[in-house]
Amino acid sequence: MPAVSDSALLKVDAVSVRFDTAEGSITAVDDVSLTVKQGEFLSVIGPSGCGKSTLFNVIGGLLGNHQGEVRVGGETVSGPHKSIGMVFQEESTFPWRTVRDNVAFPLELIGMPKEKRSERARHFISMVGLDGFENRFPGELSGGMRQRVSLARTLASEPKILLMDEPFAALDEQTRLLLGDKVLQIQQQIKQTTLLITHNITEAVQMSDRILVMTYRPGKVKRIVDIDLPRPRTSEIVGSEAFGRYVAQIWNDLREEANRGLRDEEKHALQRGSGTA
Amino acid sequence: MVKTGRLTRTSAAGPLLSPVTLLRIVLVLALLAIWELLARSGLLYRDVVPSLVRIARALGSLLSDGGYYYNLGVTAGEIGIALLIGGFSGIAVGLLLGGNRFLAKAFEPYLYYLGPTPKIIFFPVMIMWFGVGSESKIALGTLSCFFPIALNVAAGMRQIDTVLIRVGKSFRATTAQMVRKIYLPAMRHPIINGVRLGFGFALIGTLLAETKLSNKGIGFLIIQAYSTFDMPRMYAMLIVLFVLAIGANAAIGRLGGLDAIKRT
Repeated sequence: MPAVSDSALLKVDAVSVRFDTAEGSITAVDDVSLTVKQGEFLSVIGPSGCGKSTLFNVIGGLLGNHQGEVRVGGETVSGPHKSIGMVFQEESTFPWRTVRDNVAFPLELIGMPKEKRSERARHFISMVGLDGFENRFPGELSGGMRQRVSLARTLASEPKILLMDEPFAALDEQTRLLLGDKVLQIQQQIKQTTLLITHNITEAVQMSDRILVMTYRPGKVKRIVDIDLPRPRTSEIVGSEAFGRYVAQIWNDLREEANRGLRDEEKHALQRGSGTA
Repeated sequence: MVKTGRLTRTSAAGPLLSPVTLLRIVLVLALLAIWELLARSGLLYRDVVPSLVRIARALGSLLSDGGYYYNLGVTAGEIGIALLIGGFSGIAVGLLLGGNRFLAKAFEPYLYYLGPTPKIIFFPVMIMWFGVGSESKIALGTLSCFFPIALNVAAGMRQIDTVLIRVGKSFRATTAQMVRKIYLPAMRHPIINGVRLGFGFALIGTLLAETKLSNKGIGFLIIQAYSTFDMPRMYAMLIVLFVLAIGANAAIGRLGGLDAIKRT
């Protein structure tokens, strides 16, 4: 399909990752291919243990020992690529830096003069709605605000592709929905191409143009769902009938996988239990 | 710089006389009272436990003695240089071991074995290598403070939140940038704690060396007072040394304390 690959900004081609563990070799990601088009919002959804985070690290260039290829704008990714900006699941602000200096971090690395990077930082701090908090330290902010600082920091590096790994996983449901609004708003404002890794169906449907459903171990592509909901969207969309249908459809796909994951975990727990008894 | 947070922390530590401070003062006063009672009771030889008045008088003459300050300067200089050499090499080795699992596995056991060994046993060697002057004292002080600093820094480096390192890598930070902008600031606490411990060890090493073989420095003066049986003067010097050690420790600790606010 040359028409698609022409506009594909990110192309993941037959990527597989195997880990050697004490219990033998585990295939975390198995032959996953996907493309993200310019300006598109793609979510990768799957149960815990489907290799989502592994895929995130491969695309981000933080994990090298994979088969297959990741290409950004035609260039093969081997190590962190300047066109990809990562937002991590964990708390990742620098506690010794103010909000401004956190956001200015990537600009500092490329040697932007102080005046200019302060100004750029302020722009992105404002974009995530943290005006007035420039001089605060992360320790003085809530978890949701800190995650917004991380987002602003990554946006400040002006990546062509925003790559996020369950950035709201640690937050409560309300904060998550409101933050989702913020991300949608930013996405519409700067037409940010985004790849979101998540296990949250609501979040995925609310934000995405397409959702890629992964299977439980080994993580393969199970289905790709086009989300044909009008934009601009807000969290209000959660109440609509079409939204409900998409959620039901994706849950239908996921339930089987999640169940498999659960049974697998139980089996492992049992083995461990009998092993020690 | 956020001032408010820092202020609340320091003011929380003290209305001037908190119960804790009060208890500390009471303890010191009680010890002094017992000392004085013992001195006056005549139960012990009065030169071994001289009265507080005699110690105070000795303290007065000590502090008005220019020669004492010269020796104090000698010792302080030796400790300072020892801490500088031991500190920099300790931090460098700690960074190396903390950042490289292979090197750590190979060499860290040596540090753990050598760390608790009393360094004074190397003093004869130091005298042969560096002579009887200040150099051998500095060498022993350096040797004493190197180990706790290196081990603390190595352990501190391994405790850095790995996601911060991944953030740095994802922004394609160079190795120098990683060290300067992530590793060192993230390790400020273990580094300062290591230097603090190292200071104590450098003090012990240097003074011990001075008491063994020297012709200047506080250790020399103390042992001189002892051998001429000038106990009040010896006690006076111990008091001054004690106060200076507390002061220096607090100064190093303050450097670390500033950061505590930002991290909470």
